[in-house]
Amino acid sequence: MPYEFDEILETIRMTEVEHFDIRTVTLGISLRDCHDRNIEVTKQKIYDKIMKYGKNHVKYAREIEAKYGISIANKRISITPVSIPFDPFHAEEFIEIAKILDKAAEEIGIDYLAGYSALVQKGMTNGERELIESIPYALASTKRVCSSVNIASTKAGINMDAILMMAEAIKKTAELTKDRDSIGCAKLVVFANAVEDNPFVAGAFHGVSEPEVTLNVGISGPGVVLDAIKEAGYCNTQGLAEVIKKTIFKITRAGELIGRKVAEKHGIPFGIVDVSLAPTPAEGDSIADILMAMGLEDVGGPGTTAALAMLNDSVKKAGLMASGVVGGMSGAFIPVSEDMGMIRAVERGNLTIEKLEAMTAVCSVGLDMIAVPGDTTASTIAGIIADEAAIGVINDKTTAVRIIPAYGKKEGESVDYGGLLGKAPIMSVKRISCEKFIGRGGRIPAPMRSLTN
Amino acid sequence: MKLTEDEIRKITLSAIEELGDKATPDKVKTIVKKAVESFDASPTDIKMNESSGRAILTAFGINKPGIVASITKAISQCECDIYDLSQKIMGDFFTMIMVVDLTNSPGDLKTVQEELSKVAEELKIKIYLQHEDVFRHMHRI
Repeated sequence: MPYEFDEILETIRMTEVEHFDIRTVTLGISLRDCHDRNIEVTKQKIYDKIMKYGKNHVKYAREIEAKYGISIANKRISITPVSIPFDPFHAEEFIEIAKILDKAAEEIGIDYLAGYSALVQKGMTNGERELIESIPYALASTKRVCSSVNIASTKAGINMDAILMMAEAIKKTAELTKDRDSIGCAKLVVFANAVEDNPFVAGAFHGVSEPEVTLNVGISGPGVVLDAIKEAGYCNTQGLAEVIKKTIFKITRAGELIGRKVAEKHGIPFGIVDVSLAPTPAEGDSIADILMAMGLEDVGGPGTTAALAMLNDSVKKAGLMASGVVGGMSGAFIPVSEDMGMIRAVERGNLTIEKLEAMTAVCSVGLDMIAVPGDTTASTIAGIIADEAAIGVINDKTTAVRIIPAYGKKEGESVDYGGLLGKAPIMSVKRISCEKFIGRGGRIPAPMRSLTN
Repeated sequence: MKLTEDEIRKITLSAIEELGDKATPDKVKTIVKKAVESFDASPTDIKMNESSGRAILTAFGINKPGIVASITKAISQCECDIYDLSQKIMGDFFTMIMVVDLTNSPGDLKTVQEELSKVAEELKIKIYLQHEDVFRHMHRI
């Protein structure tokens, strides 16, 4: 037999028992040729272009799923940051664009389309300002559109004016979607050092240096890693890193295969493999469980950051060895509401925002899907975003904030979205004001790259 | 005409054999040309760059008489070739792994999967049929 008995069983176990799936195949489409002075013509152009490339996206992904027996959890689309091609428009017109994006996504049959975005790390054009102002209304009047704004980068520094605007946009979004537990905020990400080829929604967008159309794949599989660690039993941390690397290597190889085959069906170039451990609310599909299997009593205690750092690094190393086209975020995600283990740690009082912030310094994204009391002020939210951006900018990595100031809710309550977004217990936030600091505005200068002590 | 590295090596070896130590550029040219023309590409064991037409069938469940018969019958009805087979009984459990060649089947992988899912339902066992590429990518570099 060309394959060993064990090898075949391992693959079957990964795909059938341990929830190994392709988390997302994301079709990136450039909308840079869709502008027209007339908003109606623009809308038609956007709709036609997305339908042209995207109409068979779900069908092709399903065919590949059946052929290889590996499920593809999500089929999604990312587009050029909307503020770039449509810069001359005003807020009301941007909202119209959001609605047409929503319609296209619905007709294609996908749950999310991302790229209602702006890149304002250095400064803002008029169009970008209008877009940011329109975000709360766009998210409240659509179901499938996701938005992200990049407010800082290592090369440009941290745009404090943009941070305050985003904090206010987040508060407004929470209010406008209060009847659905402020769900709009779950579709809004504030980035530092955003990457252009990230296939993971809500932060995905089709960067300006990307081709006309491309297909990126995001792999996942916390369950597979968890079982491998459990099976390894007691070994030292080097041994543990090896176990993680071997597992990730295999799932990356499978992920790249699936991505390439979907791209082949579309007849479009294949972009990147994002090797990320992304949890889902399903039992056993949790990053927190992996950290606990590594030897922690619970997530949030001493040792958590070190364990997460090792996990994240091993994921990256194995991914890079397994595929020549690794990109995107690539690492471990720690969204609270989407991870049963994290939710439990918060409910037990073991995991706080402060510890999560430390963890984001070594994981692949940031403060993700965190619910805070509805009366948290815009300046406090801006402070949280600025802290997170500082970690990203100084350490030359991507960080993000997806925070939900749950309208009308207090600490101890929770927001529950069901499905992939999960359930977030409302965490406590320190009520020490940073209003005067945030109120200064301006831009924190880009950091130096030497004397890194 | 596309030749793999292995095939080029075979051509070179046959050229060396014929020439011995009397090689001149012209002679090499004619011999290589002859070798390429007459070369019959023999199938290599596992082709790494091309997608094969094979799939891996895995079946398991509580053992009972007639499982192998039902599965192989379904496979032969789909005009698939069995390339390799390995079967074990573990306690009460029946397990079987098969490498199946689908190149000559009139239906595609999906049709065969559908046929097999009927068998699986009848016998109350699990049958997975996955394209070989996924195993190759995971376990072979």
